[in-house]
Amino acid sequence: MVKITIDDKQIEVAEGTTILKAAEQEGIHIPHLCYHPAFPSEGNCRMCLVEIEGLPTLELACSTQVRDGMKVSTRSEQVVEARRGVLEFLLAEHPLDCPICDKAGECKLQDYYEEYGLFESQFNETKAKRAKKTEIGKSLIHDQERCILCTRCVRFLKEVTKTQELGVFNRGLHSEINIYDGVPVNNNYSGNLAEICPVGAITDSDFRFKTRSWFLKNGESICPLCSRGCNIVIEHHPGFARFPVPKRVYRIKARENQDVNGFWICDLGRYGYSYLNEDRAEEILTNNQEKTGSPSWEEVRSLIAQKIKSPPYKKIGSRMALILHSWLSNEEFFLVRKIFQDDLRVEKIFFVDPPEGEKDGHLLTPERSPNRRGAQEVGFDLKPLDLDALAKETELLLVFGHFLLDFFNRAEVRACFEKIGTKILITPHINESGYLFDMVIPTASIAEKEGSLTNVDGKIQSFRPVLEPLGASLPEWKALIDLAKELKINFDYYRRLYSVEVILNELRKEIPFFGNKK
Amino acid sequence: MSPEFSENTKKKVDEILSRYPQKEAAILPVLHLTQQEFGCISPEEEKLVAKLLGVKPIKVREVVTFYSMLNREPLGKYHIQVCSNLSCSLLGVENLLDYLKKKLGVELGETTQDKKFTLSTVECLGACEQAPCMMVNFDYYGNLDAKKIDKILENLK
Amino acid sequence: MEEKILTQHFDKKNFYKIDVYLKEEGYKAVEKALKEMSPEEILEEAKKANLRGRGGAGFPAGVKWGFVPQEVDKPKYLCVNADEGEPGTFKDRYIMSHNPHMLIEGIIIASFCVGIHTAFIYIRGEYEAVALRLEEAISETYKRGFLGKDILNTGFELDVYVHRGAGAYICGEETGLLESLEGKRGHPRLKPPFPASIGLFQCPTVINNVETIANIPQIILKGAEWFCQKGLPKDGGTRIFGVSGMVASPGIYELPMGSNLKDIIFKHAGGMKKDKKLKAVIPGGMSAPVLKEDEIDIKMDFDSLVEANSMLGSAAIVVIDEDTSMLDVLKVVAKFYSHESCGQCTPCRIGTSWINKIVKRIAEGQGKKEDIENIIRLASNIKGKTLCPLGDAAALPILSIVQKFREEIESYLAN
Repeated sequence: MVKITIDDKQIEVAEGTTILKAAEQEGIHIPHLCYHPAFPSEGNCRMCLVEIEGLPTLELACSTQVRDGMKVSTRSEQVVEARRGVLEFLLAEHPLDCPICDKAGECKLQDYYEEYGLFESQFNETKAKRAKKTEIGKSLIHDQERCILCTRCVRFLKEVTKTQELGVFNRGLHSEINIYDGVPVNNNYSGNLAEICPVGAITDSDFRFKTRSWFLKNGESICPLCSRGCNIVIEHHPGFARFPVPKRVYRIKARENQDVNGFWICDLGRYGYSYLNEDRAEEILTNNQEKTGSPSWEEVRSLIAQKIKSPPYKKIGSRMALILHSWLSNEEFFLVRKIFQDDLRVEKIFFVDPPEGEKDGHLLTPERSPNRRGAQEVGFDLKPLDLDALAKETELLLVFGHFLLDFFNRAEVRACFEKIGTKILITPHINESGYLFDMVIPTASIAEKEGSLTNVDGKIQSFRPVLEPLGASLPEWKALIDLAKELKINFDYYRRLYSVEVILNELRKEIPFFGNKK
Repeated sequence: MSPEFSENTKKKVDEILSRYPQKEAAILPVLHLTQQEFGCISPEEEKLVAKLLGVKPIKVREVVTFYSMLNREPLGKYHIQVCSNLSCSLLGVENLLDYLKKKLGVELGETTQDKKFTLSTVECLGACEQAPCMMVNFDYYGNLDAKKIDKILENLK
Repeated sequence: MEEKILTQHFDKKNFYKIDVYLKEEGYKAVEKALKEMSPEEILEEAKKANLRGRGGAGFPAGVKWGFVPQEVDKPKYLCVNADEGEPGTFKDRYIMSHNPHMLIEGIIIASFCVGIHTAFIYIRGEYEAVALRLEEAISETYKRGFLGKDILNTGFELDVYVHRGAGAYICGEETGLLESLEGKRGHPRLKPPFPASIGLFQCPTVINNVETIANIPQIILKGAEWFCQKGLPKDGGTRIFGVSGMVASPGIYELPMGSNLKDIIFKHAGGMKKDKKLKAVIPGGMSAPVLKEDEIDIKMDFDSLVEANSMLGSAAIVVIDEDTSMLDVLKVVAKFYSHESCGQCTPCRIGTSWINKIVKRIAEGQGKKEDIENIIRLASNIKGKTLCPLGDAAALPILSIVQKFREEIESYLAN
């Protein structure tokens, strides 16, 4: 450990720590543009210069390692002047695009100018004109005038994806970042470029001109589109009082987790958030709805409980069938197992998950659902669906998830379903498959409920609700508890499971895999 | 039609590659040879060099656009590069530049109609004791005046 | 001074040919170093000689060599900096054209001292004719057995290659040179780490200027003390001063370190051209702050010039006369650095071009009142804030011109 002084504060840090990291540990933010924790220091923006006692020139905080006895000042007159100097240079050749730039509100240049700048421009020359709004990839728009040549994008494509689509051309002020003709940025991590660009030089075409960053509310969640469980931030618009907004969720961003996804998320997860906005089931739908209107959950669950309990209770195991999907949380899988497998002795439990895809050599897994591992650890053997086996003697079918028609065509499913008495779909999404069922119960997506998921490596990650549930939708765990209580089997046990936290504790007690794990 | 090096150049290239522990390091010598052989380094040559050194073409372009002596487009047979730096400026190189512009009928960076001469300026050539100077392809000419320039151009066939 | 170190035999016909060179004690230094001395002894001599770098920075060569770790499991490299891009400088061209073998000898001895087996001479691309001559000379040296495997039966092996640049001043900066040699854009690196530990291809590397290395053979033959006495106690040897501009006899002049600048101009270089009055002198290449005519009575050595807020740099002396407008000088200086900035770091990339734009505007008659203050502020924001020394190399001379000749520059502003 090494003892240093930062801004008159004495602290101890590990040897080899940079001044920037040491300051961060103490909550002192040293402004920087080109530095990113994922890459070795580049040192070209010159924004993080700090004063070190005894040295004649200012030094970079991002690359200078602490030494015992070092005295650092991050706010001395010299340092503040140096920052203004760098800002003045950057803004001199920067276009005044804020009114039309998507980065406004989360732009480092704006932020630092507000804090350290606030000067009037002394630039009386002609700014260099360059290419603006060029598409450099399937989801990226590039503006060379805004670029401050921090080279984060170039370094990302060199060191993380190793695809090198961007390069720095020419020299001096003519330097520009660009793609090679006909080779756009075409990898599964391109969206990260718009995130790491400190200014609006690389922006997301998905987000372009849609809204302003300051209208959005952020919430931490987990991406469910594969089994990596990347940590994400969901940005949604809470709406305006006087007029509607066209979207709910506007953007997904990456959230750092060195045990799961590092600093990044893939484009599939970043741009695949339509499942949060579109085709949502919001009401309970039944076959004779036109006459009687949409029933309430209380009515529906008593109906289901009745169907489960009659005729003779003891044959429920062969009379019922379940189709599950791996988007259910650990807690929900636990409840399904306890209620249906253990208590009701249902044998016909199948899984239908989204079709598998290709790996991408980095984060994306072939499994395109978040909790297959969770299902396994809870005790399911993830039997794939066999339509014939499904229909045999089945009078009541509960289907969780809307992926049926990804594997089977309507005709065969219809033929199978004709042999089954009552078919109930429990899903956050309404699609073609909904029409095959007698009843659709709307449930919450992962962003609207709480629980935990187990990723492909066995890491258990909890998530909390970030969005309001839509309409009458409710989380599966609540539906299952309500149903269990309605069935009056093992009532005392299920009665106590009133929250996800309690369910998780039970799960931990019963299955060692989940116990005592962080 | 992708370009290929001549047999002779291929031999030189192989020898050059053997000098460095990493093939990439040979990029400048190889680019000089490429420019000599093909006149310039267009996207076709970029791909050729990229393949030879095991790098991406974008990497070749990054290098070509950085260095003043590497040209992406063909120039005239004789590239006249007049020094525009300090000692030459002190000794009146501006006038000689104007003289050349008028004589050849081109502006800076342009090539004569018959594709014989391209005129540009260059930074200090390292021949300040002979200021004002210019470099034609790789040949240095110093202590210039209008008459000497006339003679030099005459002798360039 | 009677005996020169580097230019002694410049007037001999074909001195660049090894047969002629061998007649003047050629390669005797290599024989002495490899057969009679140990690497440690050679290092001692280099340190005792107080041989300071002749490229511009003036760092003691012996100390630099000493930074390279002795035992490593990586190859070590020597890069001879023959990029000679500093405006006003042409001495290395002379050394390589007229005395290439002394350079090669120096390379062999330096490599033997540090434990290097591959040396590159990074020569600027414009010096093609010089590069060809170097390659000829190297080829001769191989044939005589002073290069290659088992040199002089000592078991020491060394390969020397000429590597041409392609027109970028920044590749004369030592880490810009390394990047260029590795096949990349010549973007200087952050220091630390220093090339002595992590240099070419991540291996320990020594980078020295041509003139610095070329001094080594004579140091070995005649001893460090002899060398040191030619110059000053802390600054041994001679310098090849390159004088150009408005002097009667521009050219190279090898004189003792510490020679008087006024003498160099008026006694050696023939005085002012056409008997004009002297207005200003740039003493050490364009990167050295300008000296006014009342400042030129000064000793030309590293420390004296630092005291005068300038630098010895590449010892390239450019003489400016009364008829020259300092605005024109400023124009050339501003344009050069904005053209040669590599573009990596913010202050240099934008600052040098901004200053260039202002100066151009002043020269076109559109200068504004605040331009001078702006230039001074911008240059001060470049100074000391950049990734590599090019920032200072731009800022300091520009500041010196604008501050020392302020009235003259201001007279060009539009009133």
